[in-house]
Amino acid sequence: MKKISTLTLHNLNKAKGQYLSFGVFICLTAFIIHIALVLAFQTFDAYDSLFDKLNTADINFIIPQIQDSNELLTEVGEIDGVSIVEKHGGVFTPVTVREFADSDFDMNTVFYNLDEKRTLNLLEVTATSGESDSSVYIPMYMKELGGFAEGGSIAYSIDGKEHTYDIGGIVLEMQYGNYGTGMIGGYFPEAVYEDFVEEYSDNVIAEYSIKTTRTADLNEMKNTISEMLREKGIALLNINDRDTAKQTRTMVCTLLIVIFLALAAIILVVSIFLSNFRIRSAIEGELAQMGVLKAVGYTSNLIIASTIMPYMLVGIAATVIGIALSYAVLPSVAGILAIQSGFSYTPDFDIMALLIVILTLTCAILLFSYLSAGKIHRLEPINAIRGITGDESAGQNILLFIVSFGIMVLLSFAGTLLYNVSVKPDNFMNTLSEELPSVIFMAEDDKMTELKELLANDSRVRLFMEYASVPVSYEDGSLTAFVCEDFSKATNDICYKGKSPVKENEIAVGNAISDRYPIGSEIELTVGEQSAEYMVTGYIQSVNHAGAVCQLTSKGYGKIGDTTNSVNVYLYNKNADVFIKEYEENYDAVIKSSVNFEQMSENGQMMYTGIVSVIVMILFVISILMVLLVLYVIIHSMISRRRQEFGIYKAIGYTNRQLTVKTALAFIPVVAVASILSVIAGLWYLPAMNNIIFSLIGAVKNHFEVSVWILIVFAVMFTVVAFVISVLLSAPIKKITAYSLLKD
Amino acid sequence: MDKQVVISARHLKKAFGKGENIQVIYSDLNIDIYKGDFTVIMGSSGAGKSTLMYSLSGMDKPDGGEILFDGTDITKLSNDKLAVFRRKECGFVFQQIYLIDKMNLMDNVMTAGVLTSKDREDIKNRAKELFSLVNIPEKTWRKTSSQISGGEAQRAGIVRAVINSPNVLFADEPTGALNSANSGAVLDVFTSLHQKGQSIVMVTHDKKSALRGNRILYIKDGKIFGECDLGKFEQDDAERTEKLDRFIKEMGW
Repeated sequence: MKKISTLTLHNLNKAKGQYLSFGVFICLTAFIIHIALVLAFQTFDAYDSLFDKLNTADINFIIPQIQDSNELLTEVGEIDGVSIVEKHGGVFTPVTVREFADSDFDMNTVFYNLDEKRTLNLLEVTATSGESDSSVYIPMYMKELGGFAEGGSIAYSIDGKEHTYDIGGIVLEMQYGNYGTGMIGGYFPEAVYEDFVEEYSDNVIAEYSIKTTRTADLNEMKNTISEMLREKGIALLNINDRDTAKQTRTMVCTLLIVIFLALAAIILVVSIFLSNFRIRSAIEGELAQMGVLKAVGYTSNLIIASTIMPYMLVGIAATVIGIALSYAVLPSVAGILAIQSGFSYTPDFDIMALLIVILTLTCAILLFSYLSAGKIHRLEPINAIRGITGDESAGQNILLFIVSFGIMVLLSFAGTLLYNVSVKPDNFMNTLSEELPSVIFMAEDDKMTELKELLANDSRVRLFMEYASVPVSYEDGSLTAFVCEDFSKATNDICYKGKSPVKENEIAVGNAISDRYPIGSEIELTVGEQSAEYMVTGYIQSVNHAGAVCQLTSKGYGKIGDTTNSVNVYLYNKNADVFIKEYEENYDAVIKSSVNFEQMSENGQMMYTGIVSVIVMILFVISILMVLLVLYVIIHSMISRRRQEFGIYKAIGYTNRQLTVKTALAFIPVVAVASILSVIAGLWYLPAMNNIIFSLIGAVKNHFEVSVWILIVFAVMFTVVAFVISVLLSAPIKKITAYSLLKD
Repeated sequence: MDKQVVISARHLKKAFGKGENIQVIYSDLNIDIYKGDFTVIMGSSGAGKSTLMYSLSGMDKPDGGEILFDGTDITKLSNDKLAVFRRKECGFVFQQIYLIDKMNLMDNVMTAGVLTSKDREDIKNRAKELFSLVNIPEKTWRKTSSQISGGEAQRAGIVRAVINSPNVLFADEPTGALNSANSGAVLDVFTSLHQKGQSIVMVTHDKKSALRGNRILYIKDGKIFGECDLGKFEQDDAERTEKLDRFIKEMGW
């Protein structure tokens, strides 16, 4: 080390700008990887920890209070796997929240008594502003996404009546949490709650919160409960479980981690190519110097060590800075995640993430810079002193091509993501969910035919079909069955292999059990006492149910279960609220209940658009930064190398402007070719990339469209930006004078 | 008293190129270099003077033959062992000087010095002595090569070459890029070092430089074509010049 310290410091000093740009890249890589790792290591643990801290129930279900009994409580307590059961009171009602992120927000809501004594599903009030006689405490999700805050007010529209409450505080709970769980909570102080109960006495419910034993199968238990209630004729208003809620609430976090890691990998590859280019360029440019070092007795390894040591030092320092900076940003990132997850936590110092980032980056820098500098081994001192010209421009063009291609991959991915979330939101929502109707109607018993006739004669209706989600059991647990009269009418084809069922003895199963049931095999389903065997015709996906799903035709389900009275209605225009109101008013005897799914989809889309916009902005900024830094390294190296040539050009009459534009234009063919190839390749790799990323959250088949026009626009923009940056970075040519160069 | 042989090369072969384009530099060259001598290798352009010098110093490997440097056959050493050999046994002065850009003179010298000594202060003190020997004032030590004259740079190059007290100092046209005044100053340094006992091998086609040597070898047709003993240099004199002129004329210069 002592032997190379002078040389190392000299190398560092003479190319500060180059090392700085390399450092910025590594800093950025460390920054992003570290954020991704801390999120991966801490978010899920934080979720579990909060879940445990609030002693959240593993399963919650709600039934009308009027149907509740002590006998039911006893029976639920006796279900195999149940360790604790606790009942809570509440009022269950669909509500429209006014001014939720400047829009109306429809959501099934359970209003609870905040002051009720409870041991399960504890509530943590994280912010308060003092109570009044019209206070409500809202869940964190409403604050993060809805824009409400303690001290403000919130207006609910319930059954056509407007209620405005003062927001007394924000409640952290792990039972519901966000839009994806399909339900949300509202929490009144006791006095307000009692008034509310009085006003909505028909909607009072009993909530059963269940803690299970460690080995209990939640799906199976949900199925048992559903069956038990069905047998007793008790309406099951809602049932949710720990795993589904967790997966729904951490979905964006998982996506973000995957995107960050992919992004960091691209930046790391660019950094490695950059250092490779810089090292090779240095070897070419300082050939004689290396020959002299060999002449005076430096071994190849000493010269290599002095060449790569600055990269190691800068790399390690940049990694540490990147990690430190990530801690400044992590709370904000956790805050962004809170918009979707509905819970917040403060990321802690993570030694494991720190060690992984430092070791990964240090090893990568060491390995690749050593390989780049390996050429020094082959240098004969006398040949080096006499000068061997290398083909630098080829290395430069390869670097520029790879970087341009890599950045275009990033931009294309970002553009495609934005396009499918903002311009074609159905593509995104279809990937994450099943059917996206405008309205879901539940028909009264024996009124299905009448309802279908009404819908068939309504010119506003584009499509309608019987469609329902019901629980069924199979050998190893339970599945959610999507039951449809005709899957060929479905608007969201979630079948990613084989085909959806057509006949009554056919079934398509979810990706959670696809390994066990190959296409052509048989699976036995049970509902209550009824069982039937079905032949697997295909595989389907479901993000929200973690793949534990299946598709059955209505006739197929009829072999084991009662007729479902649910109809999906798809409207031509977006006016589901008017449509529902009209049907509920005019056909009260036909419609049992209705769901404004259009509004729910828009709410979901609003949440995802916000998060995706942030991700896309980050990708854009990083892309521009990468172009800037790479072009800086290339142009700086080129200007240093060709100083004499520029001097000669100036001597024979070239102007600064001509030389600057000439230099900048020299890079454009490579950038343009990389962009064009990226657009062509994007048609192949973007679907594959989207498939890989979304399959990690359970969406084996994604509906993203790759718009060629978006890619072309990005390619043109990228080429133009690269040219402008090149012109700006070529400005130092102005400082070169013909005289000084000829003197050199 | 018999002179002590420091380098003994036998049956050296060296050629460049391949096939029809092969250019044989020498095919069976024998040479001895003696300790304490200031050996000057002369010859016409392309005769292989520098190639021979770089072979003798382990900078380049001959295609065949053996080179015993203080009894060690350096043709059998690996590249890394050759590097270690060079740092201990050889010093190099080049026509183009090749000081490391943007590094000051002291650091240039230290870069070579740290290879053989663990005590930086020792090296620094020796560097200071050598700088004053070659007449480079202290204020110049912190300057880089672009801030000094060619003569000063070459004298700093000589300091770097001798910082590790090499067995043999090799110089390849050391005054080739210098003007007359600077050449004289550099040659004086060589003379001074020779007078202190330093073995020197210099390649040159410059008569003024050659006059500083005591033993002149002329390379021609791939072998040592002739040898002339000029005796130790004291000062320029007509007799010495005439002897050299006569020798190189005989060699067909």
